[in-house]
Amino acid sequence: MSIWRITWVLLALLYSTAVAAAPAMADGNGSGNELNMTAISMFFVFISITLVITFWASSRTRTRSDFYAAGNSIGGVQNGLAIAGDFMSAATFLGVTALVYSTGMDAMLFVIGGTLGWAVILLLVAERLRNLGQYTFSDVVAFRLQRKPVRTMSAIGSLAVAIPYLLAQMVGAGALIQSLFSLPYEYAVVLVGVLMTFYVTFGGMLATTWIQTIKAVLLLAGGTIIGVGVMAMLNFDFSALLTAAAEVHPKGEAILAPGVMFTDIITSVSVGLAFVFGTAGLPHVLMRFFTVPDARQARRSVAYAIGFIGYFQSLIFIIGLGAVVYVSNNPEFQAPGGGLIGGVNMSAIHLSKVVGGDWFLGFISAVAFATILAVVSGLTLSAAAAVSHDLYANVICDGNSDRKTELRISRITTLIIGLSTMALAILLEGENVAVLALIALAIAAGVNFPVMFLSMYWSKLTTRGALAGGYAGLATALILVLLGPTVWVTLLGFDKPIFPYAYPTLFAMLANLTFAYLFSVSDKSQRALAEIESFDAQWIQSEIGPVQE
Amino acid sequence: MLSQTNKKILGNKNFHKLVSLRRRVSWSFLFVLLGSYLAFSLLSIYSPATLARPVFNGGVFPRGIAMGYAILALCFILTLVYVWLANNYFEPLEKKIMAELKQ
Repeated sequence: MSIWRITWVLLALLYSTAVAAAPAMADGNGSGNELNMTAISMFFVFISITLVITFWASSRTRTRSDFYAAGNSIGGVQNGLAIAGDFMSAATFLGVTALVYSTGMDAMLFVIGGTLGWAVILLLVAERLRNLGQYTFSDVVAFRLQRKPVRTMSAIGSLAVAIPYLLAQMVGAGALIQSLFSLPYEYAVVLVGVLMTFYVTFGGMLATTWIQTIKAVLLLAGGTIIGVGVMAMLNFDFSALLTAAAEVHPKGEAILAPGVMFTDIITSVSVGLAFVFGTAGLPHVLMRFFTVPDARQARRSVAYAIGFIGYFQSLIFIIGLGAVVYVSNNPEFQAPGGGLIGGVNMSAIHLSKVVGGDWFLGFISAVAFATILAVVSGLTLSAAAAVSHDLYANVICDGNSDRKTELRISRITTLIIGLSTMALAILLEGENVAVLALIALAIAAGVNFPVMFLSMYWSKLTTRGALAGGYAGLATALILVLLGPTVWVTLLGFDKPIFPYAYPTLFAMLANLTFAYLFSVSDKSQRALAEIESFDAQWIQSEIGPVQE
Repeated sequence: MLSQTNKKILGNKNFHKLVSLRRRVSWSFLFVLLGSYLAFSLLSIYSPATLARPVFNGGVFPRGIAMGYAILALCFILTLVYVWLANNYFEPLEKKIMAELKQ
């Protein structure tokens, strides 16, 4: 069975990582701490178990019933877990913990937003999406609009979202491997990149739903243990946690008040909008609603996901403050040059060692790594599919492409994405991964969500309006990210950003909605009239599902 | 052009009842959730002291953290209410509509 071979190839690669780590430590090139063999062994044990279970489970499902078409095997609970697994990525677990660790109460904006985005999906999107019953969200937008141009736009949008989201995972994975194996960061990123490309090429989409489900359970359990462990050390006194954190933190009492990170209304509203509407614009998340049999199961799975995600987000606040108390001033975790080993993104990982010792550190690292692997493979595949399936096969070849060329294009895309994210991830060392992921959400909120929302709720949207809005949102989002602090200052090395705000959400959404409105109402073509007329049929189906004639 | 079935659906009273009921529920829940999130953002910029003040005099537990957890709890409760409403009101209405269409 090829699945087994893939597992072993992967494990061999992981093992070679450990071997490669040894000389780095001997040379003293590492981050300075000694190689932790207990944690590393546990890391391999858990990674192996996770991968073996994943591949075993996914191969079983495939033989029993056709996973995606039949769908009945995926009930609300499992799909809810898989959705939560998709969302509880490195960005949330490592990144939001790091934000709590460095800014305190301001991170509450992330904790709340990360949960509320799912409420928007539940109340506005999930059931309708399922009722319209296609395979990707671009099919839904193209329900009554012109397929080709709409597909091109949403493929470009998917790429623009996938790349920063991938970067977030990559920076997290690099830091994780760096601090666990004492490797230099650049070396760690390259290793992780190679591993990921392998996983995507050989593992494929088959395993991701299962790895997400299993990982979600492990991460919820692991997060609970860290949270309860922290509280137990403080005799379950939340006030003691707050007092201790304010005492230890360099910013002192300020972390128990807002204002450390967010001081202007534009940034905080942009953060809110990115979470609330960007989550519903992530292509790989929306795909999950097509794996359940009907709208009822779609609704149930989001409801479960909200429960899991909300619970996890509440834990993260405790974990972040726990890291302030037990990690920030612990000499064991200090890098020689100052700061934490592996940067602030590793605060949750270091805390797991304080709570549960080396074996638990290995466990949490393995779970975090499995998370990154699964999220990255899903993202890379959706980006590669956007190029090879949407752009090449459907738009350029008009549906008449040969499979071999299509496959080759998807492989080449995977490779290009892998190499470019590796290079960018090295340049973005130490950048908070939640910030990077939020840029992806901001683009999703500025490009994908408004067009999808208008196509479902506004009868007068025409193809011309959808394209104008989508491209206006995309251009605004990309230009403002380029001129903003993350790219212009951190990546390109200029002193001051031209656009002062880190997140372009507010402006990109406004541009998108304005252009979509103006170009739709001014569109008097025959095609536009036909598109407006066919809204009622789409609306009826979105409300009650397909009805037999 | 609308099909015969779709014309029938548009003329169905229960269909409009379902749509307006669901619309009212969805939008009012969203309004409450997003409104409280916006209130949190506005307070954190324009009146940080309000959020920094402890919930109880003399305590350390700040209002901002309490408010954050309260919004999370509210989100969870409204989710449960929505699912309950969907199971007990929306779905029976949908079934009724389907039955009326067959007549």
